[in-house]
Amino acid sequence: MFKLKVSDAKLLRDMATAISILVDEATFQITPEALKLRAMDPSRVAMVDFEWPKTVFDEYVCTEPTKMCINIGELLKLLKRAGKDEIIELALDEKTGRLQLKIAGKYTRNFTMPTLEASEEEVPTPKITFNVRAKATTDGLRQAVEDAELVSDHVRIEADNEKLVFQASGDLMGATIELKKGSDALLDLEAKEPSRATFSLSYLSEIIKAASATSDIATLEFSTDMPIKIDFQQAKEGKLTFYLAPRIETA
Amino acid sequence: MWSSQRRVDKCSPNVWLLDILKDSNVGAEVKFEENLLVARSSSSGLCVACKGSRFLCGKTRCPIIVKANYFLKSVPLMQSEDIAGASPPSVFVGRIGYPYVYAGPLVPPVQEDTSLYDLPEYWFGKSIDEIVGFRSMLIRGKYRVHVQKFENAGKIIEKTRELALAVKPVDVELILKKKPRGFILLDDEVQPFGPSAPIRDLIVGNARWDHQIEKAYNDTDLKAAEAVLELYSKGVLVTKIQRAFSVGAFGLEKNRRFVPTRWSITAVDSIISKELMEKVKTFPEISEYRVYESRYLDNIFEVLMIPGKWSYEAIEAWYPGTVWNPHGRSVVMFSDREGYEGRTTYAEIGGCYYAARLAVCEQLVREQRQARVIVLREAHPGYIMPVGVWQVRENVRNAMRHKPYTFKTLSEALNFIASRFKIPIRQWIMRSELLKDALFQKRITDFLEKIKG
Repeated sequence: MFKLKVSDAKLLRDMATAISILVDEATFQITPEALKLRAMDPSRVAMVDFEWPKTVFDEYVCTEPTKMCINIGELLKLLKRAGKDEIIELALDEKTGRLQLKIAGKYTRNFTMPTLEASEEEVPTPKITFNVRAKATTDGLRQAVEDAELVSDHVRIEADNEKLVFQASGDLMGATIELKKGSDALLDLEAKEPSRATFSLSYLSEIIKAASATSDIATLEFSTDMPIKIDFQQAKEGKLTFYLAPRIETA
Repeated sequence: MWSSQRRVDKCSPNVWLLDILKDSNVGAEVKFEENLLVARSSSSGLCVACKGSRFLCGKTRCPIIVKANYFLKSVPLMQSEDIAGASPPSVFVGRIGYPYVYAGPLVPPVQEDTSLYDLPEYWFGKSIDEIVGFRSMLIRGKYRVHVQKFENAGKIIEKTRELALAVKPVDVELILKKKPRGFILLDDEVQPFGPSAPIRDLIVGNARWDHQIEKAYNDTDLKAAEAVLELYSKGVLVTKIQRAFSVGAFGLEKNRRFVPTRWSITAVDSIISKELMEKVKTFPEISEYRVYESRYLDNIFEVLMIPGKWSYEAIEAWYPGTVWNPHGRSVVMFSDREGYEGRTTYAEIGGCYYAARLAVCEQLVREQRQARVIVLREAHPGYIMPVGVWQVRENVRNAMRHKPYTFKTLSEALNFIASRFKIPIRQWIMRSELLKDALFQKRITDFLEKIKG
């Protein structure tokens, strides 16, 4: 048996939005302790690693570990119907294999949606030695990628112990966005060695824009020509982390 | 730019064309009236200096002379205002003046099996001369109609619609208001076409309708896109679907409308390939790098398939002197693409994008595989005039019919393509977002394997 209750519909909606950036069909791992999801996008360029312990929910019941795969876009359509202060209840009907969604506010709405065949793929997270660790506001990051997007479709992220730099160069225009250590946007910066890596802006900006709805502060970790790890600090307990593989331009 | 008929007679710079026609062998055989011929002048003035003899435009043959020759052959056939012949069947809906457009039948003044004249599916391999030859026989009757108000537009439009649904050539008597006039275009933007005139009356013989199309026509609760897909899945040729589509034969009753021929070709290609793409996305990925190729009418297609989730890109390179790059000194490249999720805006490079997408999706569905597909096209100067989007569809379909060259790595596949093309592969790569992505964008899995391995 599995069911959960959230008194703030926005919380669930923002989370589903962030996941939907990368995956259409999301297979959740449901354990008595937490709701988890780890998945790559179809082209395997990016990964999302999500975990909400039971304490995030107002009510969370799971009697035995199970998997549930749902079309996240369809779920999102239903969640969008919920107002800010409405209560959402999700329950899995194991007999019919359908997910029941109840939105309770001024009046009560019950939706059901089908679950899909769960993916059996176990995805490990990449284990990388990161040389740079930067803590920034999600707002600052969003501004930086929006600036870079004006001139190019990819951005080089560079850091040393002084600053974090976003460098974009397009066919005609270029942009350099500098976040200095100790500035309002960059809260902390440590670099074991100066590092740089290039990333696709279409992924980076979608991830940052969607995830910043759930979080004010993000921790970036990267090394030269390695995947970047972006951890969005959650208001309550819980984890929302993205990995994005780099672009390595060889002549 | 248009030059009026009067100016042709007296002071037009295009008098040279009339002179050529008089001098040429073909011209000597037929009497033609100068007022049957309207010439458009090129803004560059190159044609005036060249007069079809020096190939200043860089093409291997003068497209105007090619067209003029066929035009003159059709002159004896259009001395009358009364054209009787077997329509392939064929109709044409113009786009000028939308929503008030000229619609009407295309009728060649011959009584034989003309079905080939309007079935590009069977044209592959024919020379440009042959195609221009039979296309220029098609005399176009024009009748002004509002695209949505065709129901009350009278008998001529009604008959045109009936004709468009016919399964075989139909005897048609086309009575025109005046003798059909031919156009020879010096600026060369429109595909080969016969002379035209406004319709006075139209008599269409007994036409047997394609019963599949008739079923969709009678179903006024069936949406147009669904009708197109239904017919395609039953094996009706794309051209036939498109022809019926252009006369508003499909869709919910209140939504039916005439669709300009050019738009309807792309609409049908787009609707069908969109559906096929959704199927493709459910299939397993190919496991090797493949290159398919085809050459026709001096257009070289190299289609690269890369293992991965469905995405699509089309890149065209036009040599100086080809249709869309007449006066340039260097090769011009156009490209457009879409990712796994598809696209919502019209592709910049136009109808070719959708025609090629249809051809590659057909192959992937047949094989039940998915891949990242890049269609590369080099148009060489021998492609002297545009013959229509079908050339791309059938050229790529031809590529798909043949076994691909397969490779273990992307760089081997790219080396092979480099050996087939004149444009350096580096230039293709820099133009192609999908190639850049395949070469430069790493995957998360690249870093997982490293850990394991």
